[in-house]
Amino acid sequence: MEFVNLQGIRLDGRRPKELRQLCAEIGVVSKADGSAAFEMGNTRVIAAVFGPRAVQNRSQKIANRALVRCEYSMAKFSTGDRVRRPKGDRRSMEISLVIRQTMEACIMTQLMPNSQIDICLQVLQADGGTRSACINAATLALADAGIPMCDIVVSCSAGYLNTTPLLDLNYIEDSGGGPDVTVGILAKMNKVTLLQMDNKLPFDTFEKVMQLAIDGCEAISKYIREVLLENTKQLEYRRGL
Amino acid sequence: MARTISDLFSKKTDIPFYISYIHKITPNQTLKQNNQSTLNPRRHRERDHREMRDLKDLQKSLNQTQRVRLQSALQQLQEIYSRASSSPAAAVSVSDCIHVNLEDGVLKGHGTTNRNDDVVATVCGIVERVNKLVYVRDLRARYKPEVGDIIVGRVIEVVSKRWRLEINYSHDAVLMLSSMNLPDGMQRRQTSTDELNMRSIFEENDVICAEVRGFNHHDGTLQLQARSQKYGKLERGQMLTVPSYLVKRRKQHFHNLEQYGVDMILGCNGFIWVGEHVEHGVDVPVETVKSSIENMSIEEQKPNNFTPLETRQGLCRIANAIRVLSTLGFALSVEAILKTVEWSISSNVEIKDMLLSEFCVQAAEIEVQRRILLTKRKN
Amino acid sequence: MSVELSFGEKNFIQGGIEQNLRADGRQRLDFRPMPIETGVIPQATGSARIRLGSTDVIVSVKAELGRPNSHHPGKGKVVIYVDCSSTVGPSFQGKKGEELSSELSTALQKCLLGGSGIDLSSLILVEGKLCWDLYIDGLILSSDGNLLDALGAAVKAALSNSLIPKVNILPDLAADEEPEVDIIDEEYTQIDTSSLPVIITLTKVGKQYIVDATLEEESQMSSAVSISLNRNGQICGLIKRGGAGLNPSVILDMISVAKHVSIRYIATLDSEISTAEASSAS
Repeated sequence: MEFVNLQGIRLDGRRPKELRQLCAEIGVVSKADGSAAFEMGNTRVIAAVFGPRAVQNRSQKIANRALVRCEYSMAKFSTGDRVRRPKGDRRSMEISLVIRQTMEACIMTQLMPNSQIDICLQVLQADGGTRSACINAATLALADAGIPMCDIVVSCSAGYLNTTPLLDLNYIEDSGGGPDVTVGILAKMNKVTLLQMDNKLPFDTFEKVMQLAIDGCEAISKYIREVLLENTKQLEYRRGL
Repeated sequence: MARTISDLFSKKTDIPFYISYIHKITPNQTLKQNNQSTLNPRRHRERDHREMRDLKDLQKSLNQTQRVRLQSALQQLQEIYSRASSSPAAAVSVSDCIHVNLEDGVLKGHGTTNRNDDVVATVCGIVERVNKLVYVRDLRARYKPEVGDIIVGRVIEVVSKRWRLEINYSHDAVLMLSSMNLPDGMQRRQTSTDELNMRSIFEENDVICAEVRGFNHHDGTLQLQARSQKYGKLERGQMLTVPSYLVKRRKQHFHNLEQYGVDMILGCNGFIWVGEHVEHGVDVPVETVKSSIENMSIEEQKPNNFTPLETRQGLCRIANAIRVLSTLGFALSVEAILKTVEWSISSNVEIKDMLLSEFCVQAAEIEVQRRILLTKRKN
Repeated sequence: MSVELSFGEKNFIQGGIEQNLRADGRQRLDFRPMPIETGVIPQATGSARIRLGSTDVIVSVKAELGRPNSHHPGKGKVVIYVDCSSTVGPSFQGKKGEELSSELSTALQKCLLGGSGIDLSSLILVEGKLCWDLYIDGLILSSDGNLLDALGAAVKAALSNSLIPKVNILPDLAADEEPEVDIIDEEYTQIDTSSLPVIITLTKVGKQYIVDATLEEESQMSSAVSISLNRNGQICGLIKRGGAGLNPSVILDMISVAKHVSIRYIATLDSEISTAEASSAS
């Protein structure tokens, strides 16, 4: 199947190094301490953060830092074909674990000992790149909740089809049989916290694809930063002096 | 490579446009239609204007004129703020560098951290500088307690010699039996009978007003005290939860609104109590009242045991005014609340209609007027 | 999922209900404002999102081709399922929301599919062989009481928003062959939802009944009866929840109160759905 035609246009009209449309909204779940909705093209994710609050399960209490829990779930109507996936299935558990480790790396947990932070992720529409969208949404929700973080975590995916590195794969390209590299970086500190890949790729091509994903992450981090700044300013104006 | 991507990104429409507009994909634009450039980021998007927080839910129910009015009111607020404050709001986002003259020996406060000799923000907020202290005041974070704050909390557990309360904080707060006045008012030593009778003073799920005494150093829990007559159990009313940054620290947190017969306590932790007026200094024998009521079922209780209707109306009006102001994100002060309530009475708005979009827009406009008057008085 | 209240607060709520002035100023039979948004899930056949105070639910309808049940060869199939997202609260993470979701799913199935709410024979394409299966999925994002009513209203809105594609069935097939279909792009049929019932939950607190209870009021209930009524005032389903027993005369009284409320409620719901459709079409 031709994913990139001769003029260099992909199936959805993008160029190989173009990101999908980004859209972020802060404050979608009124009962949560912090929440955000993030859209990358047709992939839509809601993140809600509850915490820091007192630990519910005394046995899990950690004396010198905060406990971070994460849950990822996909709505039944999120994928094209409606599949009844139970809540605790393997893929969701794996993604929950991965996202928890990524977010734990950036939250300054030692500032909040003996407390618990819950991150809840709900996928409303899945069109490739749900992992990345979830991490971006979780970053926004944590910043909205005022939880101290050492840096913003952003994530983006890239692949390699028809001998072209492609940025931000959608579902059709993802299932095209080519490799899929997901990268999560700490934006300002320029460090990689998440790196996953499936399928196989020769080493020098891998370097190109990973660099492409990192560049995509930088563009997303700029957008996220602007959204957060604007939100902060608006809250301050409305509150008044 | 980086240049290509950022170029493409910068060709997208202006930033405020991005944040305030949300792309709505209509049902016709499915994935199967490959040839349409619907996902081309450079296409101009038109959609309805949305805002943030619960304001979004409000905005969904506004029609066009109401939206325009609300937008202009918020715009005016922005102008008032920028005129009133001496320096523009230095908003920072996570991991932004804070400009600091390192030779001055700056103290780094909350919300900042060191990174390679740079002072960097760890939360989103406004940078505040007080002499040599630089810190970031974050907005929507959990309540930050200070000694002497008046808070409203709910009892979650009764343990030996203390009550554990939930306040809007990362830990629970503790009220020791020794920090409470004994029920008969006498100053005497606590006996074991007092310990066994703790539930007769406060039970689980009771709402209590107390003051912050200090922090417990080993695990960071908060210590409270309720030694004065004005603290203690709160009954006959309702408790509201608002974001704690909307309640500013003032000299007075207890307000007796005489014309409505209502007591209002603005807890610094974001829990607000609105209830029937109770005379302080009168030792109501708590035990007898409660036990007699509990023995009757609901149907047997006499109707005159409930709050009288006029007080209730005043109470509900004030509660709704607080809800409207917190939806709009305005700081809660007695003057703002009273102004909203007076406006609602003078324009004959029904109590339940105070939560509708029309009144919210009017409340925003009233608040703008009030703030303009305030700044004029200051100058 | 209940909220713990102190004795004084409980007294206040009960007093309010007795005096016909609830905590937010509503009267006993008043609903909260109900803004509806349709078309929120573009990949689905139809979808809607409804907010009732802080309660937030999304319902999506997906139409897929399937085989009719051998017992009812002339009818299509409808399956309703409700899920509780973990964003409702940290106590709903993991498997804990399952009890609530299964209770709501069965309640919705009973209330909406009893009676001739959805005309199942309109979903049939080839008798005995091919029909449309409608999968209705609900997702609760946030809860502030009265979930069943919100879900019922959202299902109605989502079905009004659904556009089922028209199909061409290729002729000349043998008796045991599978029919082939050709889906026509850009031509759709709408589902008729005028006879779909609405669900009204009456919560009994003390001696009085209230409509559209918030989470605090629900924690004070002695029992609740959910009645689904259609436009003609006929009962399509009835569920009683709660620990206290009810006098049969009380239930009959509640049904008549619900009938009285339903006229106004159906009118409000219809106007909200048409405003939502109009604004999403523009």
